[in-house]
Formats: sequence, structure tokens, C-alpha cells
Amino acid sequence: MASRLLWASRAASYLRISVFHRGFSSVLKDLKYADSHEWVKVEGNSAIVGITDHAQDHLGDVVYVELPEVGAPVEQGSGFGAVESVKATSDINSPVSGKILEVNEELSSSPGLVNSSPYEKGWIIKVEVSDSGELKNLMEADQYSKFCEEEDAKH
Amino acid sequence: MRVSRSLEVWKMGTINYLDALRLQEQLVSNRKAHKIPDTLLSLQHPPTYTLGKRRTDHNLLIPESDLKKMGAELHYTQRGGDITFHGPHQAILYPIISLRDIGLGARNYVEKLELTMIELASLYGVKACAGQAGETGVWVGERKIGAIGVRISFGITSHGLAFNIDPDLNYFKHIVPCGIANKEVTSLRKETDLVLPAEEVVHEQLISCFARQFGYSNLLWKENGLIS
Repeated sequence: MASRLLWASRAASYLRISVFHRGFSSVLKDLKYADSHEWVKVEGNSAIVGITDHAQDHLGDVVYVELPEVGAPVEQGSGFGAVESVKATSDINSPVSGKILEVNEELSSSPGLVNSSPYEKGWIIKVEVSDSGELKNLMEADQYSKFCEEEDAKH
Repeated sequence: MRVSRSLEVWKMGTINYLDALRLQEQLVSNRKAHKIPDTLLSLQHPPTYTLGKRRTDHNLLIPESDLKKMGAELHYTQRGGDITFHGPHQAILYPIISLRDIGLGARNYVEKLELTMIELASLYGVKACAGQAGETGVWVGERKIGAIGVRISFGITSHGLAFNIDPDLNYFKHIVPCGIANKEVTSLRKETDLVLPAEEVVHEQLISCFARQFGYSNLLWKENGLIS
């Protein structure tokens, strides 16, 4: 059973399709991942950041996203905002260092995008990356999938 | 794999809201640095109204100056959730625990906090249940007996739950509790037919329910452990 789920998970992530039956979380191949469950998509000098499918599933329905200011600095591993779900505010940490170029204003009126589309419409910030060398501190898709399995097995 | 997990329990008595907040910040920082084990604060507050990160002060129905006149404080916090009241005869737990160490996300954590209070209520024959979607907390029918508001930073929790043993429910009239209009607030005293023991006993039962829900097999007790 587990290996079939794993195959399906890999197939889904390779094909980049979002699957609604949640026995596993989807992970996209071309992104990098932090152990605090944020993803980053690097495009030249800039990067887009959000939280992963695993993260949104474990948070519950997001009712509020606290967005940072455009122009504010971010540091790899440090908090830049927060999400609220089930009466819990959870800090979001940046996977990269740099300066915020853009924030997803849509999340102010539609915070649920983080749940329904964590890798696309639910993106949170765009950053001008100051040190692309730091990307090596992040995980690849396969590593991150395994990390999630190990974390979930802890209880 | 079941490892024996330790929980350090601090029985604080009545403690001012800001003092408790400062203590929690220190404990979160220490927990993050692995200097302390998972820690649980058990306490009560003097009359205090608090707001969450979304600052929903439209749910405060009277001016702040009136609160001061009745001897209550008001604080804005970083926790999730809406406006609430804390006061004497309400049991509060503030767990400072690492969710990453036990592989729990926010949703599962909050569910276990709800189950903690549901279990305590059941000890007194009170059938409580978790809220409907969007109404996190613990309810007896349409009446709310327990509230939750949590902050998670680097996977470490702070703030927590508040269970109404026998607080003065009139204090709740000055707010829209948790932002949910048209629903009453209740207490264990109101809901149970049984005679309640000394509150200290109920506090300890709440702690035991918490420890059971979260699988802590080893409890280390600390009385009135205020850091000076």
C-alpha cells in the first residue's frame, strides 16, 4: 500500500498534477524546500516563495495571512510573516535571503488559496535573491518527500 | 517507536498576563535552543481580555476605559483566534512544546488541545465536543466551555487553552466571545450535576488529560517556578 502511494506521489509530482484524495502530499520536482515546509522557485535573480502542500494540509483551513512589506529584507531561516488557521498563528520562514519584490495581495481577501493552490495561486512573496549560494542548504523534491514521511511517522 | 517523553509542569497559581507572556517568550527561546524539555504552564489570570493577531477589537463591546474601571486589563497578542476573557476560576494551560519533535501540525495540535478539555469535561459527566469547522474550541451543545488560541514559532508552541471551571460569566457579556455571536459561554459548574472538588484538583486533572493526549509518560512537577 505504502509503495503504491509513493509511486502515485512521484507520478503526480513528475506530472505536476494536484491530486485531491489526500493520502499523501504533492511535491513538485523543480522547486526547493526548507525543513520548515516552505518552497522556493528560483527564476534567475528572483524567487517565488510559498508553503508546501504538506504544510497547508497540516495547518487546516487558512483564514488569515500576515504579509510583509514590499522592500523589506528577508533572511534564510527567519520569519517574514504568518498564517492563521484553527485559532493558531504559525510563522512562515524564508528559504532565501534578499529583498521582497512583491507580495500576493490576493491572500488578504482569499487566504484559502494557500490551501487550494499552495504552489501556484497561493504563492506568498517574490524575493530578489541576494545569495544564491544559500540554495544548497535547501532540499530537493525527493529529499523533502522523505523528510515529510519521517516527520509524520514520529507520532 | 515509543520513546519515554518528559514534560516539565509548572504550577503557577494566579499570574498577571504580561508576566506570563514574558515567561513564555523566554521558554520558547530556551526550548528552541534545546535548553529545556517540553514545558507546560498551568495557571489562572486576573480579569484580562485579550485579542489575537488579527486585532479584532470590533468584538469588544465597551470602551477600553470601562474595562479599566472594572479592574480588567486588555492585551493585544500574536496568538491565533479572536477576542476572549481570562479570569479567576478559569483553568489555563500554556504548553511550550516542540511540534516538530512529535511530527504534529497546527491542526492536529489544536485537535488534541480540544480532546484534552473534552476528556476533562467527561470526568464530570459533561458531554463536550469540538467545534464545527471554523469554530475551534470545546462546546456543550451550543454553549462554549473551552477556548483555544495558539502561536507556533519555529515549530514551538505558546499560548494555549482556557477551560471554564467556574468563572464569572458576566465578564463575557462585554465581548463577542471568539467573534462568534449568538452563542453562549458556559462553565463546568453550570453543566455538571456533580459537586466540584477543590480547583487545584481540577487543574491537576486537566494536566493529566493533556499528558495522556500528547503521550507524555514522565511528568516533572515544579511549583510556582517564576523566573526572576
